[in-house]
Amino acid sequence: MPLGPSSSAAHIQNATPGFVSSPGRTPTSVTVHPVALFSILDHYLRRTDAQERVIGTLLGTRSDTGEIDVRSSFAVLHSETPEQVAVDMEYHHTMYELHHKVNPKEVIVGWYSTGSNLNTYSALIQNFYSQETAPHQAIHIAVDTGIVEGEKAGVRAYVSSPVGVSPKPENAVFVSIPCELLFKETERSGLDLLASASSTLSSAHPSTDLDVLERALRSVSDMLDRVLSYVRSVLAGETKGDAAIGRYLMDTLGSSGEDLEKGGFNSSLQDTLMVSYLANLVRSQAEVSSRLALTSISSS
Amino acid sequence: MAAAPSMAAAIAASMPTPQSAPTPAAPSYEAIPASMSKAIDIEADISLTSVQLDGLVVSKIIKHSREAQGANAHGLLLGLDLDGTLEVSNSFPLPHHFNEDDDKSIKGVAKYQASMLRSLKEVQADDSVVGFYQATTLGSFFSQALVETQAIHQDRLRHGGVVVVHDISQTARGNASFRAFRLTKAFLDAYKRNNFSTDSLIEHRLTFSSIVEEIPLRIRTNALMSSFIETLSSSSPSPLADGSPSTASSTAALPPSYSVLNLGGSGVTRNLEQIVEALDAYKTEEGNLGYLQRQIAREKARAETYVNKRKEENATRVAQGLAPLPEENVSRMFKIPPEPSRLESMLLLGRIGAYGKSLEETSSAGLVKMYAAKAGTAVSKTLGTTPPAEHRLEWRAKVT
Repeated sequence: MPLGPSSSAAHIQNATPGFVSSPGRTPTSVTVHPVALFSILDHYLRRTDAQERVIGTLLGTRSDTGEIDVRSSFAVLHSETPEQVAVDMEYHHTMYELHHKVNPKEVIVGWYSTGSNLNTYSALIQNFYSQETAPHQAIHIAVDTGIVEGEKAGVRAYVSSPVGVSPKPENAVFVSIPCELLFKETERSGLDLLASASSTLSSAHPSTDLDVLERALRSVSDMLDRVLSYVRSVLAGETKGDAAIGRYLMDTLGSSGEDLEKGGFNSSLQDTLMVSYLANLVRSQAEVSSRLALTSISSS
Repeated sequence: MAAAPSMAAAIAASMPTPQSAPTPAAPSYEAIPASMSKAIDIEADISLTSVQLDGLVVSKIIKHSREAQGANAHGLLLGLDLDGTLEVSNSFPLPHHFNEDDDKSIKGVAKYQASMLRSLKEVQADDSVVGFYQATTLGSFFSQALVETQAIHQDRLRHGGVVVVHDISQTARGNASFRAFRLTKAFLDAYKRNNFSTDSLIEHRLTFSSIVEEIPLRIRTNALMSSFIETLSSSSPSPLADGSPSTASSTAALPPSYSVLNLGGSGVTRNLEQIVEALDAYKTEEGNLGYLQRQIAREKARAETYVNKRKEENATRVAQGLAPLPEENVSRMFKIPPEPSRLESMLLLGRIGAYGKSLEETSSAGLVKMYAAKAGTAVSKTLGTTPPAEHRLEWRAKVT
């Protein structure tokens, strides 16, 4: 998303030789891990009254193809007055060293700020972070927290280019690059947990595997009902059928259960039951054994 | 009631720390206004009844656990307690300490911890340590290190601190698992005396299930995060998802997930292996204990025969009119080894029990899924045309 119509006077270039020598490729896309996002939100919640926006450092990894994976973030102190902007560089370095101890793979990739306001100070801070990430380019992530009326919550990522006849640190154009939420499949359930916690005020936790399974099955059943009612209404001629949906349904529902019919079910059932039996056996043995340890010597 | 705790939360948040609250430390609650009595708890009188985990902490722990590979991920929990609820609002990982330079690495960790806490305080984050978290696999979290750390915490921290255990394998199966524990009084008592002999176990009625007690745990997301998650999971074109292939069917950044319905039984093999390993370790430990036990018995028997012999000798000497030989200190002559500690064997049993439990849960869920898949295909057979949407139940449950 370009910030505005590019004027012929301004020289906009994504990678600028001379400004920062970049042997690595210019960032082409950014992926954000939920942790980084939530840290930013938490930092925003904990800002002081005087702070209009908060900034911090983004840590992550770079790939050779120009993709940047933002893995975590930490807050950095800064102050903005009409006259000047100050970033606590010492704090930034201390925090980076601390993070580096735990996670040596993550390096500084850029910085975040809240709100969608990109101003001169943004350019100055961007300039500072460009020095930190040299020889790579720094990225900037603007998180819209969605508390200002009329603005939607969202995340935008930018890289910067110098602008003007003579490059000055306070003059820069922020060029938007694609940004996505990325996490490993194994972490998915954590997000589901948070989503369910946010929809219900106080979720009963911990839930067992069976509870989770039940919820999933119920939702599948609901979806089936929805599909069924749609198909019925199409058959009755109430709504016009959509060919694409029909094809999707065909693909989705047309999976075969051949393995099941060939006795795969019964043998797997036996295995599962056996494992279940074994598990119970192990548990009761462990219980008995721990109680035996309490009595065996006392009798002698 | 809903307004009171939130009000109290605001008050508590505005105070630097509960310990340094300016009100006089009067134990009687009459001195403190009724509305404040739950918020101001200087002496930590209100015992903890539940733990509340912030969404940020949840995601931080999950990330750290996954990246650290294995059960080595641990870190500190920061937060405040309020009216019996321990609100954990932040956390940070601790570096994995290496065994080579023990003294040095411990110092390094302490320095790291102090420096991190100072830094967090500067950006208005909570900076009081309330416990620690530990990642585990397959539900088994008992280890000497965990027990030791928690015992230290329970001594030093306000309210004794909690340990939040995060199960990686259960999370990978689709049910993010967080549980909060603390050591029971009986175990702590035995631990302080450093006495895990059989007698002590009997006296404290300790089995592996009474080492720790679970504290109910809740997950909380603050309003800002709730709304953000809501935006992410709603199907409207979100700025985060630019129509990536993985989310092609839905434009939401967080499409609904059905990984729970996967029939994959790959974890079962690993679980069985773990059980066998734990059983082997237990067997070895039992062997050691048995050996020590026999040694004790042997020494005791030798000492007894010596005492009896001396008594007989004395009896004959008295009969002959001679002065009896002095009764010597037997314990000095025969070194009876102290009774071995049964802590390790108890912890191992606990691990076996936990593995068993995890296996049981997996298999019971697997059973349900299998019948669901069967029902799905059975319906499809009778219809002859379209099997219903249990397509996601990939038939992969080949239990070996």
